Amino acid sequence: MHIHPNMKMSDLVQSDFELLAVLQRLKIPFGFKDKTIQTVCKEQGIDLHFFLNLVKWFHERDFFPGETLMNHPVKWLVKYLRSTHSCYVDYYIPRIENEIVQMESFDHSAGHNMQLMLKFFREYITEFSSHIQLEEEKIFPYILRLEENLAKEAPDQDFWEKIQGYTIKDFLDEHSDIEEKLVDLRNILLKYLAPPSDNCIFTNVLVEIFRLGNDLNDHTILEENVLIPQVLKLEEEFKKKFPG
Amino acid sequence: MAKVLIAETSYLVRKGLVSLLEHTDGVTELKAAGHPETIMLTLKEYSPDILLLNSAITMPVTNEKLTSILHENARIIYILNTPLPAESPSSQISVFDTKNKLSEKLSFHISQYATQDNDKGETEELTPRERLILKHVALGRTNKEIASELFISTHTVISHRKNITRKLDIKTVSGLTVYAILNGIIKMEDI
Repeated sequence: MHIHPNMKMSDLVQSDFELLAVLQRLKIPFGFKDKTIQTVCKEQGIDLHFFLNLVKWFHERDFFPGETLMNHPVKWLVKYLRSTHSCYVDYYIPRIENEIVQMESFDHSAGHNMQLMLKFFREYITEFSSHIQLEEEKIFPYILRLEENLAKEAPDQDFWEKIQGYTIKDFLDEHSDIEEKLVDLRNILLKYLAPPSDNCIFTNVLVEIFRLGNDLNDHTILEENVLIPQVLKLEEEFKKKFPG
Repeated sequence: MAKVLIAETSYLVRKGLVSLLEHTDGVTELKAAGHPETIMLTLKEYSPDILLLNSAITMPVTNEKLTSILHENARIIYILNTPLPAESPSSQISVFDTKNKLSEKLSFHISQYATQDNDKGETEELTPRERLILKHVALGRTNKEIASELFISTHTVISHRKNITRKLDIKTVSGLTVYAILNGIIKMEDI
């Protein structure tokens, strides 16, 4: 499929429903009628090319538009990543948790295997939440302020002081791998656990874990290959514009 | 485990072979080229195990020279633009071949590289030693603690742990703990 600005938004979704995730995360409301991609983007105040680059990547998977995505204001990407976070925290994770709870009630195995999986998954949730908290409370506000201050005549004093001793590179060190445990969970369920009596739920949990895993993967790619390089560039510009 | 180079001028055939080989077990790396010069360059740098070469491409060197550029165990499979008789050799494929025919021939060649590399006699089963190490890991011991308890070096512990992770496909300590409980290596009360 060739994705172009004059294509109808509804046709785009119909040809690849996985793109719904992108729409949701950009907070594009439904009810497109016959509007084109271009029109919908304009109405929602979303940069057309930013949108096109994202959906093309999600759809084709052929090329990664890292360079192109970097040319947009960083606040867009932050907004996107933030809604991705809330999608994980408010929806994906509780859903998987609930399903494991449900499986537990079906589980009559002597070893209480599902109880074990639930414990494992709850540990994961804790880890995951602190990862996201770090980004939401420290990293993203820093990035937004960096972009804001760069546009000013003179930077805010407190921000200027902060940036002297800080770079986004420090964050990279703290950026832990949140996929590892999820992959383990998937492998244990897939390889080492006999499914409990209700197979439909079991299969569905696996499907959702695979989905979340892929989604997290994309999330990491966007952070490490677009967000971080872009912020490094902004930091450089900032230091050039406001030398010490 | 084979590295494959597709040397084919036709865009359609090239893409078709790429998509077929992408889903074939045993292909570790895949490259495609269409122009004779690019093919030569890629051959030298990439050193594939299997070269799929369209017989209609005029290469700048003779066949003998081409074979000498390839490594000792490498092989050439020719892509023909004409149909092949039913009993054609496996070293030839045709653009008219069915998917099954193509898969059969290509898998045959690729599988030969798999057996050569697989001389380690790999099993997924943990050895008794690995089970013992796993038990200690699952109980939350550090590499150092395990080493001193079992009178081995930390280096050995690390190498066992790598093997355990590879065999089980489980990376994290809590994942390994779950596995250990599921398989009766430790008890839930132990942790």
